[in-house]
Amino acid sequence: MTSHQFTVVSPPTDAISALKFSPDPSSARIVVSSWDKNVYLYDLRDENGKVGEGKLLQKFEHRAPVLDVCFGENENEIYTAGLDWDVRKVDLNTAEQTVLSSHEAGVRHVVYSREHNLVISASWDSTLHIHQPDAGANPDSQPIIVPLPSKPFSISATATKLIVAMASRALHIYDLKALALLTAQAETAAPNGTRVEIEPWQRRESSLKFMTRAVACMPDDAGYASSSIEGRVAVEWFDPSPESQARKYAFKCHRQTAEDGVDVVYPVNALAFHPVFGTFASGGGDGVVALWDGLSKRRIRQYQKYQHSVSAVAFSASGQHLAIAVSPGFEDGHDEVPEGTVKIYVRELGETEAKGKGAK
Amino acid sequence: MGKKRRGPSLEELLDRPWCYYCERDFDDLKILISHQKAKHFKCDNCNRRLNTAGGLSVHLSQVHKEQLTQVQNALPNRMGVDVEIFGMEGIPDDVLNAHRQRVASQFQQAELDRQHATGNPPTGASSGGQPAKKPKLEPVSDLKKRLAEHKARRAEALAGGSSGDVTPNSAVQSTPTPGGYAQSPPVAATPQYSYPQPYGGPPAGVTPHLPQTGSPVYSSYSPVGGQQVPGASPYTPTGYPSPYPAGLPAQPPVSYGAPPFSQQQPPPSDNRFTGLPAASNLPQRPAFAVPSVNAHEMQQMHMGHVPSPTPAAPGHSNGSSAQPTEHVSTPVDNQISGAANDVASKTEATSKPKKEKTKPAIRLVYNEDTLSPEEKMAQLPRYAYVPDRSTQTALSELPGNVIVGRIQESDTVLDTTH
Repeated sequence: MTSHQFTVVSPPTDAISALKFSPDPSSARIVVSSWDKNVYLYDLRDENGKVGEGKLLQKFEHRAPVLDVCFGENENEIYTAGLDWDVRKVDLNTAEQTVLSSHEAGVRHVVYSREHNLVISASWDSTLHIHQPDAGANPDSQPIIVPLPSKPFSISATATKLIVAMASRALHIYDLKALALLTAQAETAAPNGTRVEIEPWQRRESSLKFMTRAVACMPDDAGYASSSIEGRVAVEWFDPSPESQARKYAFKCHRQTAEDGVDVVYPVNALAFHPVFGTFASGGGDGVVALWDGLSKRRIRQYQKYQHSVSAVAFSASGQHLAIAVSPGFEDGHDEVPEGTVKIYVRELGETEAKGKGAK
Repeated sequence: MGKKRRGPSLEELLDRPWCYYCERDFDDLKILISHQKAKHFKCDNCNRRLNTAGGLSVHLSQVHKEQLTQVQNALPNRMGVDVEIFGMEGIPDDVLNAHRQRVASQFQQAELDRQHATGNPPTGASSGGQPAKKPKLEPVSDLKKRLAEHKARRAEALAGGSSGDVTPNSAVQSTPTPGGYAQSPPVAATPQYSYPQPYGGPPAGVTPHLPQTGSPVYSSYSPVGGQQVPGASPYTPTGYPSPYPAGLPAQPPVSYGAPPFSQQQPPPSDNRFTGLPAASNLPQRPAFAVPSVNAHEMQQMHMGHVPSPTPAAPGHSNGSSAQPTEHVSTPVDNQISGAANDVASKTEATSKPKKEKTKPAIRLVYNEDTLSPEEKMAQLPRYAYVPDRSTQTALSELPGNVIVGRIQESDTVLDTTH
C-alpha cells in the first residue's frame, strides 16, 4: 500500500456515529460524534500545515450519545443530533450550545444545506425538523415539522434536493427550495412548531430488498447511492425519465466467504462521494473500505481490511483525504467496546487514487 | 474399463505457477509475472508497474519520496516487503511446501467430492495422480496380501469348479496374515451370507453402490455397503447401526448384531479421515467390476460355508479390523445420503468445504426489518437516555422495551403517569 495513512490521536472512547470534514477545502479539520456522548473536533494539520495524525482541539459533551454531526455555514459552527432528542448548534469558538429543537425520539441525522441555509434533522419519531439556523439565536422561532411515513434511517442533501431513506424501504426526495420557502413562511408560526404535510418531489421504493443503511448524493446533483444491511449498494439517478431510470443498478459488496462456505454478508454502514471525481467510498461492517466508480460501474480499489466495522467514511472538501471511522460491535450492540478499538484513520489519497478509470 | 481423465492430474496442478502474494495460480509463468506487476507491484501514484516489491520500494522512495510498507492486494500474512518475489522465484520453502500440500489436499478433496457426486469408482480417475496417499492407510504388505487374495479368488471364481472353489478360498483365509487383516476374511464371509438374499433381486442395484464404500481394504465386503444404503436412511442420526440391520436378515446368528454397536461408536470419525483418502487404491476395482465374485460368493453359499458367520462374530466383538469396515462404509453412505448427522455434518464441514461453496448460502451479520443498528444500540442500558422531563419510572421501563419505538413508548408511559 503506497498511500499514506494516519491514525488520528486521542480518538473517542466509544463507537463513532459520524465523521465529517470541514467544508473549507484548505482546512483539515474533522468533527466526530460518538456514543460516548461527546463531539470531537480535530485538526489534522500540525504546526507546519502538514496533514498527519493531528490533534484534538476540543471536545463537546452532550447529555446522551451523539448520533450525527455536520458543519454549518463555516467551519466554526456545527450541528449535532443525538439520543437526547435534541438538535443543537455548537459554536466551536465559544463552545456555546444552543438547542434548535427537540424531537420526540432520538435524532439520527442532521444535515446542513448551505445553498438554502437550512438545518434538517431526521428523528426516529418519524419526522423531519427543518430549521433556519439564524433562528437558533432567536428562541421564539420554531422549526417546521415534516411528518414521514416511516422512521428515517439516513438523509443526504445536494444543492437542490434532500433524500430521506426510511424504514419499509421508503425513500423520499424533497425539493430543498420548496422546503426553504415553507420554513420561511412558517417563521411566525405557533411555538410548538408547525406540522406541515409536504408532498415530496419524488417518492420511491428502495431498489434494495433489505433495510436501507445509508444514502449519499452525488456531488453533481445527478443522483445518489444507497446501501443496505445486506451488503449491497444501489446507484440511482434523480431524473425520473425512463432513460435515466434505466441506468440505475445495484451491486453486491462487503461480503466474505466464511470457513464453512457460507457467504457472510455485512451491512454497508457508510457511503461518501468524492467531491471532485464523483466516485464514492463505501464502508462496511466487515471493516473494508472500497472506492467505486459509479458511472463506469467499477471498483477503483479496496483498502486493506480494518480490524473492526467501518462506521463512517468522509472525503475532505479538497478530495485529498479520506477519513475512516472504525468502531467495533456497531451492528450487534456488543456490551463492551474494548479500549483502543475505536480508531479514526485518515488516508492521504494519491492524485488519481480516487479517480474513476473511465468507461471501457 | 476405459480410463477417462477428468480434469488435470495432481502433478499438473502442482506444476502450475502461482502467486506468492495472493495464492492465485496461473496457466503459465508469463501471466503470473504480469499479474504480479499489475496487482502487487504497481505504483499507486503513477501507475508504473515494477517487477518486484524491492523495485517498487526503490521507485517509491526515489520518485515519490514514499516508503513502501506492505505489498498491496496481498494476503494478510504475505504483505511483507522483505521477501523478494519474482514470478515463482524467491518463495520461501516453507510457504512453497504449504502451498503444495494445500493443492494436494484440495485435489484429493475435489476427487472425493466428485466420487460422491458421480458415484464413480475412486480408482479410475485418480490412480495416476496420488501415490502418496496409499501409505497412509495400509502398508504395502497388506496391499500385496489383498492383491494375492483377490487373485486367488478370481482364479477360483473363474475356475468355477463347484468343489474346487472352497479350498482356495479357505487357503487364502488361512494364510498367515499379520495384524488386523487376519480378521478381514471372516468379515468378508459375513456379507457373503447376507448377499444372496438381495442377489436374486437387485444385483444391478447393488453394484452402483459399490464404489461408495470408499475403502478398498474391505472391497470384498462392499456388497453389504451397497445394501446399507437403503437401510441406512432411517438410521441416519447415528449412522452406525444401519449396516447391521441391513446385514442381519441374512445372517443366521442374529445375536451378534446387537453388542458391537456400542463398541463401534467411537471409531467412525477417525476412520472417515483415514479411510477416505485410500479410496483410490488399485486392487479394489476387480472386486467390484468382476461379477464372477458374486457368482463365487453364491457358490460359496451353496458350498456350505454357512457356518462361517459364527467365527465372524468374535471378529466383530473384538473390535478389530471388522469395525473399520463397517465404519468406513457407513460414513460415506451418510455423506451420500446427505444425512444431517451431527458428527457427520461437523466432519463434513471440515472435510468438504468445496462442496458447500456451490450453494450460495448467505448469513447476514445484521438482520432486522425495521430496527436500525443504531436504534438497537440505543436500547442498551448504558446508552439509555431519558429527557429532562422524564422521571425514574421511565428508566425502569427502559430495559423492558425491546421494540422499535422504544423511546416513544417510554414517553407514552410517562404521559399516562402524568
